[in-house]
Amino acid sequence: MTTQLPPGMHLETVDDKIMTLNVGPQHPGSGHMRLIIKVDGDYIVSCDPDPGYVHRGEEKMAEYRNYIQNIPHLERPVIHDSSNILYPYCLGVEELLGIEVPERAKYIRVIAAELNRCVYILYWLAIYGIFLGHSTMFMWPAGDRELFIDLLEAMSGARVTHAYLVPGGVRNDLPSNFEERCLRQVAYFEKRLKEYEDIFYQNPLLKARTEGSGILSRTDAIRLGTTGSVLRASGVDFDVRKKEPYDVYENLDFQTVVMKEGDSYARSRIPYLEMFESCRIIKDALKKMPKSGSVRTKLKPNPKGGNDEVYRRVESGRGAIGYYIVSNNRPEPYRVKISVGSFRNLICMPYLLKGEKLGNMPAVYWGLNYWPVEADR
Amino acid sequence: MSTIAPQFRLSRFIASLFDLIFWVLLIFSLVGLPIVFIILFYIKLPIINGQLMTPYLSMTWMADPSRTLPIVKNFIHTTIFRVMVFPGFGFAALLAAATIFVERKFLAKIQLRVGPLYCGKIEGILQLMGDGFKLMSKEIIIPAKADKPIFWMGPLLFVGAAGAFVSLIPVAPGWVVANPNVGLLAVFAVIGFFPIIAVLTAWAANSKWTFIGGLRALHQMVAFEIPLILSLLGVVILSGSLNLSQIVESQQHFWWITFVPIGAIVFFITIFAELERIPFDLPEAESEIVAGWLTEFSGMMYGLIQLGTYLKLYAFAGLFVVLFLGGWNGPMVWPPFPQDIITNGITIGPVTAKFPGLPLFDQQMLNGTLWFVIKTVGVILLILLPRGVFPRVRMDIALHTGWYKLIGLAFINIFIALGLLYAGVLGPGGLLQ
Amino acid sequence: MSSGTEKDEVKDTTEEHSANSDDTSRPDSMSKDEAIKFYETKGLDLSPDVPTKPKPIPEFEKSMADKISSKFGDAIHIDYIRSDRIRVTTKRENIVDVAKFIRDELRYDHAESVSGVDYPDSREIEVVYHLGSYTDEKLGRQIFALATRVPREDIPNPGSDTTRMPSLRDVFYSVEFHERECFEMFGVYFEGHPDMRRLLLPEDWADIPPFRKDFKIKGR
Repeated sequence: MTTQLPPGMHLETVDDKIMTLNVGPQHPGSGHMRLIIKVDGDYIVSCDPDPGYVHRGEEKMAEYRNYIQNIPHLERPVIHDSSNILYPYCLGVEELLGIEVPERAKYIRVIAAELNRCVYILYWLAIYGIFLGHSTMFMWPAGDRELFIDLLEAMSGARVTHAYLVPGGVRNDLPSNFEERCLRQVAYFEKRLKEYEDIFYQNPLLKARTEGSGILSRTDAIRLGTTGSVLRASGVDFDVRKKEPYDVYENLDFQTVVMKEGDSYARSRIPYLEMFESCRIIKDALKKMPKSGSVRTKLKPNPKGGNDEVYRRVESGRGAIGYYIVSNNRPEPYRVKISVGSFRNLICMPYLLKGEKLGNMPAVYWGLNYWPVEADR
Repeated sequence: MSTIAPQFRLSRFIASLFDLIFWVLLIFSLVGLPIVFIILFYIKLPIINGQLMTPYLSMTWMADPSRTLPIVKNFIHTTIFRVMVFPGFGFAALLAAATIFVERKFLAKIQLRVGPLYCGKIEGILQLMGDGFKLMSKEIIIPAKADKPIFWMGPLLFVGAAGAFVSLIPVAPGWVVANPNVGLLAVFAVIGFFPIIAVLTAWAANSKWTFIGGLRALHQMVAFEIPLILSLLGVVILSGSLNLSQIVESQQHFWWITFVPIGAIVFFITIFAELERIPFDLPEAESEIVAGWLTEFSGMMYGLIQLGTYLKLYAFAGLFVVLFLGGWNGPMVWPPFPQDIITNGITIGPVTAKFPGLPLFDQQMLNGTLWFVIKTVGVILLILLPRGVFPRVRMDIALHTGWYKLIGLAFINIFIALGLLYAGVLGPGGLLQ
Repeated sequence: MSSGTEKDEVKDTTEEHSANSDDTSRPDSMSKDEAIKFYETKGLDLSPDVPTKPKPIPEFEKSMADKISSKFGDAIHIDYIRSDRIRVTTKRENIVDVAKFIRDELRYDHAESVSGVDYPDSREIEVVYHLGSYTDEKLGRQIFALATRVPREDIPNPGSDTTRMPSLRDVFYSVEFHERECFEMFGVYFEGHPDMRRLLLPEDWADIPPFRKDFKIKGR
């Protein structure tokens, strides 16, 4: 009996040799998503990612709220990187409404974004460590993350969901002793980062396990449209902060970290090295920042975008985040599309896991810098 | 008026207590006492201080200290005491429990946290008890399609095998539960049981994760058992005995680790694989296969597996000490029992009490135990350390390590031992013996 | 940008402000002139929110747009050329050819996002591909928006109705998951896509595609 199945549904053929594993959503190594993995012995023959367990319809919700009301809920997809996911939205709305941002606010935004990038990468690194069975690498970054959370708390008043960036600048000015405190903590953090190198990245067992596994070539990285650390680990020198500098990134002194190997080890190392660059950016921005001045251009109440559209992108901890905002003379955006790095890197998962050993699955999966909540939006 | 028992009356409560006492006394005197006497009739009673240990005397031991100690001493030398308390299960379980606590605090210090802190007021020393009670009070869930008898049997078999392993470890001269002449072969035989138990329970649980975990456990343990056995042959060749107590006695002057260090290193690495500890905790690799072959265990069944694992940890550390670190051998540091307590008794003011039967343990035994425990705890700490430092390896790397590198090293170790033996340096009739 | 939703433009401006916070609330019984005067006393101006400053058309982007328009002529429509952004609309029949030209001649090599935009008034759904380039240094900051419109049916039957267009998956491999998302959220079926299944929505989703405008959030 053959029934015509509706599009989007399919029947599955079963093979005796092949075992289907549901990695997730209640698997300790999956996050809020499911990987349907078929294994033949220890080798993965196919992988079908099934995200959507935390789909919240942020894009739909944004169509019902005005430009200011959209701020807090749009940062929810990645609360650990909330400044970076709000950044392109603010840039886009500023372009739509034609708002100029004060110079000091631009620097503060960059500092907030870089602090938040460190917070995110540390969280990611912690989970990467525990996925590979390295419990110390879970505890250390999770503890050092507090440094930046405290700084962000001093800046914005909230520990995780800051909603600090707003169209037109930042919500409030820095506290009085912020600069000195920030420099002190960043200096301490740079010292700690070097210890991570000793215990984790130069660990022979880690290298044996991740080097040469899940190789993504440069051509494939471009063809699959990957972004962020995955792209840079494959030897493509692309960072939105360098290529399309927003706010004051062009004045600041930093480098793009690129590695050529394209394996799990390189993918795990790129975000780590980027934290050094983030520290450099923070220090440089604190030096170059105007010491006083306005931090927020006051918006008109309930502002309306023209009959226009805008696409702005920034570099987040997981790659480029692009906001496509369509407005139609209403206080609410007509359509907001968030193109996030996690979602764009998801396509690598079936590609990279095919033919890998099951033991490589956590390293490849988490090496993609994939944040399920962000990918689902 | 209590909300828990709204019908509570104090008078009825007291009455029920008396009721209870009455029935207990009645049943004990009518049923319990006759049973005790019937049992005692068939048991061969020991002779203490020239008197036969009659039930009457045994009932009065609490009143007369001069009878107490001989009875206790007599009990200490029974087999049941050895199995249950001292070199056997109780001692090992106590050390295992201490190990769990030390592991948690030790790992916490490495990871810049505090570990258990609140339970028990002082640095969370009662945390373990709390965890034990939690595990005991939890529901045991059996998967619907599991092979139930084998699934139930799994944890019991595991603890049983671990206990059998513990029983072979000599702690002090003469203090060992089982002392067969082929002690080391018995150890290999017991170790050989663990992969079978893992595969049985993994298959019986009828889950994909346990199945993969069980197969991993099987592959890994078999791959590491052969280097384990080979690495210990060097010691057997040099000491000329398979009896663990004799191996310890052969190390009175020098430890075997000084002559066969490669064997010690290989054995130390295989311990991790056999114990499924990081970096070889592949059968329980959390992020890959949930909890491996332990996935479906819950409540006290899981608790038993944990107990067995830590008993195994103690036994392996003890075996390492026995084979390579000289077992109970060590300088005499335990003070001798004061002679005038034995001859004159204790004088407090006008009262002089004499305790026949002292000392309970002789000096050699206490000193041996002390050294054994110190060495074992050191080895256990070394076994715990990599958990904070290493990530998990991959299955193919683990198997490659076991089948190629460790076996090669173990053979080199055997050649070194044979060379030392035939060069006449060591062994029976050697230069240093 | 030509959209079919311009009727909102002529709405009363004061009506929009009624959703504001307390200090700008006004009595309902106010005529328009009174309302404007009311807002002026509050210090609020009612000039258009967006300043209409004409921006110069940048050179590089213009040359890119000229290349594509000289090749396809009337088959495409260049919506705007701004700094770093070009947007081109084409018919769905031509989109594969245009995309191939963009990939081979203009050297854009990957898609950043595929967005659907629902226009119920003109009974159309717009699908916008945002293309970027990693290989070409000059295109690093450029985003090329390639848009097309597909008909929209009031009672959608995703996969079986006329809301369909050719997939660009063979041209840009990276659109694979984006198109799957667009399919489930807007009901646009991409012909030639090898794996046109749902991605984010549950398998038993039995409502209309949720990002269409006629799918209302409860309580809003």
